[in-house]
Amino acid sequence: MVEKTSLSSRLFNVVNYTALTLFALFCLMPFWIMLVASFTDDIALRKFGYLPWPSQISAEAYRWVFKGQEVQLGYQVSVFVAIAGTIGSLIAMSGLAYVMSLKRLKLRNTIAFYIFIPMIFSPGIVPWFIVTRNVWGLKDNIWALILPMMMQPFWVFVLRNFFSALPAEIMESAYIDGASDATILYRIVLPLSKPVLATVGLFMAVAYWNDWFLGVMLLDFAPFKPLSVLILKMVNNAQAILAAMKQQGVLIRADTLPTLSIRMATAVITIGPIILVYPFVQRYFVKGLTLGAIKG
Amino acid sequence: MAVGTDIKLAAKPSRSRSGAQTFLEYARQNWSLFLLALPGLFLIFMFSYAPMFGVVIAFEDYSPRTMFASPFVGLRNFRLLFESPIVGRLVTNTLGLNFLFIVATTFCSVLIALLLNEVRSTLFKRVAQSVMFLPFFMGWTIVSMVLFGLIDYNVGTINALITQLGMERIIVTDKPELWPWILTLIRIWKGTGSGCIIYLAVLVAVDPQLYEAASIDGAGRWQRMRFISLPALVPIIILLVLLDIGKIFYGDVGMIYAVIGNQANLFSTTDVIDTYILRALQSNSNYGMSAAVGLSQSVLGFICVFGSNWLVKKYSERRGEDYRLF
Repeated sequence: MVEKTSLSSRLFNVVNYTALTLFALFCLMPFWIMLVASFTDDIALRKFGYLPWPSQISAEAYRWVFKGQEVQLGYQVSVFVAIAGTIGSLIAMSGLAYVMSLKRLKLRNTIAFYIFIPMIFSPGIVPWFIVTRNVWGLKDNIWALILPMMMQPFWVFVLRNFFSALPAEIMESAYIDGASDATILYRIVLPLSKPVLATVGLFMAVAYWNDWFLGVMLLDFAPFKPLSVLILKMVNNAQAILAAMKQQGVLIRADTLPTLSIRMATAVITIGPIILVYPFVQRYFVKGLTLGAIKG
Repeated sequence: MAVGTDIKLAAKPSRSRSGAQTFLEYARQNWSLFLLALPGLFLIFMFSYAPMFGVVIAFEDYSPRTMFASPFVGLRNFRLLFESPIVGRLVTNTLGLNFLFIVATTFCSVLIALLLNEVRSTLFKRVAQSVMFLPFFMGWTIVSMVLFGLIDYNVGTINALITQLGMERIIVTDKPELWPWILTLIRIWKGTGSGCIIYLAVLVAVDPQLYEAASIDGAGRWQRMRFISLPALVPIIILLVLLDIGKIFYGDVGMIYAVIGNQANLFSTTDVIDTYILRALQSNSNYGMSAAVGLSQSVLGFICVFGSNWLVKKYSERRGEDYRLF
């Protein structure tokens, strides 16, 4: 660029880079505080609070977290739910999307309409809650965390669009050669659709991993809770303790609060898997978001 | 004769048989297709269609023992609902918070996209974008945990810094009037990086000749951003805002319940329709009335979605495009 050296352009650059850097720091700051707090000694935290710089480094919190039965079990539950849920939803959604992509099938528009209706009208949480628990019996078991989220109409349509855009000749010749539809889907269509499967699968995995709604709604007395629900419980407990103390008019004493570094360590190990894979899969997420807004 | 009728039957089987027979025939021919589609179809039935029958409880005096066969009370639940003072608060909060969220996230996403678009260094751009995108993946429970870490009275970062400076601690959880803004700030934190991606995609497609012509005419970078980049974004901004308005009756329960939880002193400004229903379900109270709230919300939401889609359709047709959702 010619005018790169001009004064106004340089000024623009300074303002621009400063603004973006500040916003990026704003985005990072909570992660930083979380990380620092999780590696700080609990007594120091009680004394000084969650300072943005480490005062007394200690990995004690992580030792506790990994020893703790509840968090360990929660981790296993969350991992299982994320993996089983993602695989299950990819199988269910791609099967349906494949059927909808077949031009020879007259029913495909009816199916599309059937999937579309729930996108624009839902009867509300209350009937969903009662039917899911009492009619389908999804209460206090692991499937309650998986099945209700498995079909996402939006992603079914994304998959359908992708399958429809594949060269039809390959599928047709296989069909004429006598291949069953399942064979065509699993041997031809899905291998050709790896990018879109990665996108959909990653979005589903993150949704399962972060979901607390199903855990709160459908697990009452289950001995296991996913990580997200454990964290929600920790926050709620802390809030409740605070409120109770305020009501009694007692001066709030920090040392009665549950361990501060363990809470942050739990949060860190919860976002850990996402941060670890994030650099490698970011482009799929970007693709998924642009898919969402621009049609075609 | 017999041969003749046979041929006739074969020629138009669908008309001479009943619908169910045709369907069975169809299913027999395409059984492997049905097998592929069945899990998905059944799951949608389980969690989307079956609950639709459950809306009857909005017209019943629900009790857990009789479930859907509870005594029918007509519109009583709705009457109670519209008489109760809570409904005004719920609607105001839902619409108000969503309005704040739409304005704030759109503004910030567009601004950040415009700024990122002017960045020449690819490395800086990529790093900045990755960092800003990261909050998108944090679950709301994590957000809630971190927020607690920031604003807590005893140990929160803000109060920790304040006391280091020797000033008086502040109690954020006692000030409901602050919370719409706190929630909006969280929304900006979490949604800007993901929101600007779509705008960046549009900006990449802007003809570079436009910028060149403008700079020859003496336009500075600020002016090019203002008069070329921004107008290029206007159509997509309008479309996305319209689609957001379609969802304005649905409160963000995932966020608000995770962040606010059961802090009753904050409900006056933060309690939305969805969180109200969720709490009612948890405390096992008022199923009938909650169902009535939910049904009213669904109907209003449905009208809004259709309205916004109609506007999107009209708007994009005028520009010779097709962006409507359905």
